[in-house]
Amino acid sequence: MNNPSKVPVTILTGFLGSGKTTLLNRILSEEHGKRIAVIENEYGEVGIDQALVINADEEIFEMSNGCICCTVRGDLIRVLGNLMKRRDKFDYILLETTGLADPGPVAQTFFMDDEIASEFSLDGIVTLVDAHHINQQLGRSQESTEQIAFADVILLNKTDLVQAEELDALETRLREMNRLARVHRCERANVAIPTVLNLEAFNLDQVLANHPTFLEPEYPFEWTGIYELEPGRYKLSLDDGPDPTMSLVMVERLDPNEEALQQGAEWSVRRYAEPAFKISPNNIVPMDQHVELQLQLSGQKSFAIEIERQTSLALFAQHTAEEFNLRLSASDNAEVLPVLERTWVAQHEHDDEVGSVAIEADGDVNANKLNVWLGKLLREKGVDIFRMKGFISIAGESQRFVFQGVHMLFDGQPERPWGDDPRHNQLVFIGRNLDGDTMKREFEACLN
Amino acid sequence: MPKLSKNKSHGVLQNGFFATVNDYPIAGGWGLKGKFFAVGDASGSIHAFDGTSGQEVWKNPQAHLGGILSMSASSNGKQLASVGQDGQLALWDFADGQMQHRTEIASGWVEHVAWSKSSNHLAVSSGRVLTILSSSGEKIWSSGNHPSTVSALGWVTDQEISTACYGRVTFFNSSSGQENERLEWQGSLVSLALSPDGNVVACGSQDKSVHFWRRSNGQDSMMSGYPWKPSELAFSHDGLLLATGGGEDVTIWSFDENGPEGTTPGVLEFHKAPISSLAFSPYQRHLASGCREGGVVVWSVGKKGSVRGLGGAPLDGAVENVYWRPDGRSLAAIDSEGGITVWRVKKI
Repeated sequence: MNNPSKVPVTILTGFLGSGKTTLLNRILSEEHGKRIAVIENEYGEVGIDQALVINADEEIFEMSNGCICCTVRGDLIRVLGNLMKRRDKFDYILLETTGLADPGPVAQTFFMDDEIASEFSLDGIVTLVDAHHINQQLGRSQESTEQIAFADVILLNKTDLVQAEELDALETRLREMNRLARVHRCERANVAIPTVLNLEAFNLDQVLANHPTFLEPEYPFEWTGIYELEPGRYKLSLDDGPDPTMSLVMVERLDPNEEALQQGAEWSVRRYAEPAFKISPNNIVPMDQHVELQLQLSGQKSFAIEIERQTSLALFAQHTAEEFNLRLSASDNAEVLPVLERTWVAQHEHDDEVGSVAIEADGDVNANKLNVWLGKLLREKGVDIFRMKGFISIAGESQRFVFQGVHMLFDGQPERPWGDDPRHNQLVFIGRNLDGDTMKREFEACLN
Repeated sequence: MPKLSKNKSHGVLQNGFFATVNDYPIAGGWGLKGKFFAVGDASGSIHAFDGTSGQEVWKNPQAHLGGILSMSASSNGKQLASVGQDGQLALWDFADGQMQHRTEIASGWVEHVAWSKSSNHLAVSSGRVLTILSSSGEKIWSSGNHPSTVSALGWVTDQEISTACYGRVTFFNSSSGQENERLEWQGSLVSLALSPDGNVVACGSQDKSVHFWRRSNGQDSMMSGYPWKPSELAFSHDGLLLATGGGEDVTIWSFDENGPEGTTPGVLEFHKAPISSLAFSPYQRHLASGCREGGVVVWSVGKKGSVRGLGGAPLDGAVENVYWRPDGRSLAAIDSEGGITVWRVKKI
C-alpha cells in the first residue's frame, strides 16, 4: 500500500474560471525545487511555465460489465504510463481536469488500473470553487456538485467578490454536502501549499494521523467576533435573548485572518467540550476557558473583560451577537466594533441532493453483521456514494479498523491499537440522495 | 561504451553483449538481417549497436524532442521508422543512421508505428487517427477519427491494416483507406495480435480479459480471469499458440483442433512480477517472456500449450521488451535501467 517510491498525484478540479491555473502557477513557483509534471485536460486561462505540461483528451472507458466503479480514464492511463518510464524526472504530478469532468473515473483510474496503481498514489482531490458563481453552478450542473462531493480540500476562492454573510452561508452549504473535506477561504488561490499537496488522503496508514477525527467539527458556537483592543477594562453587555445562559470562549492574540480563525475555532471546540464555569453579571470573564454567562435577570446584563496588553480578542459565542444584542464597550462607554465577524450557524436553506451522512456510535460492532450491511449498502447505493471514510471498533479486535472508498471500491485495514481509548465508531458517507436515518439505524443494528 | 554484463545466463541463453543507453529504452528493433540492433529512449535519442559485438555503430541524440514513443524496423531490414512526442515520424537508413525523411503527423503524440510485411507501407497512429505512408514517408491516406485513441496497430496482410481502440477493432484497406470490417466489443482494448494467416484477431482488454474473433466465421470468445490487464500478446509463427500476459503467469491458448474454447491453457509459472513482454521466435514455438522485476526466460511450447523451460537470465531492471533476431538465433532485451542485453540462443 504505502510505497514511498510511488509518485503522488493531486487532482485539481473546478469550473473554468475558478482559479485552477492560478493555483497551478502558484504551486509551480513556490515548489520550484520539485520536478512537477502537469497534465491538463483543458487549455488554462493563462499559460503555465516551468513544468512539463501534457495535454490529454478526456476519454472515459466504461467496461463491458457496466460497473460504474470500473469506469476509468483511458487518456490518463496512457499519459501516466508514459510518464512512469521517466519517473526519475518527476517528484509530483498535478492533474487538472476540466470543469465538466466527472471526478469518479479520474480517481478510480488510480485504483482500477494495476500498472498505474503500482507506480502512482492518488494524494488528494482539490476542488476550487468560485465563491461568486458556485451557487448558480451547483443548481445547474451535476459535475460541479460531484466535484464538491469528491473533494478532500475545497478552496473557496475569490472571496473578495462576495459579502461576508453570503460567504458564511456558502461555506455552510459546502460543508453539509461534504463533511470530509477541509474548506479554506482564499482570494486568487492564495493558500499555503501544504493545504493542497501531500495530503495522503487515500492512504489508510495516514488517514488517522492526519485526521484524528474524520468529521469536520460541528461547531458548538454560532458566532465569532475578533476585536482589536488596547489595555484596559471593557464591558461586555447583553440584552434579553432566547436562552437564560450563553456559553462563551474568549481567546487572546488571535489575528483577524482566516487561518488563525480556523485554528482558534478548532481550539475553542475543545474548550467547549470541557465543563463550563458559571459567570454571573458584573464579574470578570476569564480567558481561554469555557464559561457560561448567567443571563436569567431581565434587562441588560454586563460582564467585565480585562486586557493587560494590546491584543486581538476573539469571542466564540454560543449564540449570534444579534440574538442578545451583544456589544463590547470601552471604559468611556464608546462601543468597540469587531474587526472580523463570522457566523457559524448552520443554514438549511439549500436542499442539496448531495450530502454527507455521518454515523457516530460508541461500542463494538459485530464483524459479520457489518460485512453484510456494508456489502448490501455498496451493492445498492455504490453508484450514489462518492466517497466514504471511517474507523470502526470491531468486537474482539484490539486495533481500530480504518477504511476509505470511492463508489464501490472499498479499502480497509487494521490500524493502531485502541489501548485505553474509549472504543467507538465514526463513518462518513458522501453521496446522492442517501437516507441517513436508515443508514444509521442499520449500522446501529450491527453493534453488539 | 558497452560493457560486459555480470549477469549469469542459463540454458540456451548464452552471453552475447550488454550495453547501456542513458535513459529509459522505449523500443528496439533488429535491422540488416540482424547485423544491427537499434534502441530508442525516453530522452528521444536512437542508438544502433553491432548485433554481435555490441559496439555502438551510430546514434541520433535528438531524434524526437520529448522522447521516442515507438519504433519499427522494416522487414527487409533496411529502414528504421521512429515516432515520438514531437508529433513526427522519422525514417532512418539502418546502415548508417542517416535520416531519410521526417514528417509532421500531428500536433500531439504519435504513439504507434508499424511497417507492412513487404516493407512498402508504414502505418502510424496519433490520437484517434490512423495514417498510412509510403516507404519514403509520403502520406497516402488518413482515417477519420476513431471513437477513441488508437491503442494498437496490426498489419493483417499488405493490403489490410487493423486498429484497436476503446470499443472496437477496425480493418481498413491499406491502399484506399476504405473500411473493410468492424468488430465491436464494449471494453477498452489495450493490445492487439493477429494470427499469421490473419484469421484470428486477439485483443487484451482493460477489464482483465482477452477477447478474440475468428474472421472466417465471425465466432468470438472471451477469456477472463487475468489478475492484470493483458497488455502483452504474442502469436506463434504457425498461429497455433497465443501467449498472453496479464499477471505473473504467462497463459498460453492453443488453437490446435477446436481450441482454445473448452480447453485448459498452458500456464508458465516462474516470474515473480507481472509479465511485461512476450515474443515467439520466428521459426520455432519458442517463447521469450520478460517481467517487471527483471528476468527473461525462454520456453519451448508444445502444440497444446505444454511448456518446458529452455533457459533464462536475470536483468537489473524491469524488462521493457524482448526482440528475436530475424533468424531466431539471438534475443535482445531492453530494460528500465537503460540496459540492452543480447544473448546468443543455442540451437536445440
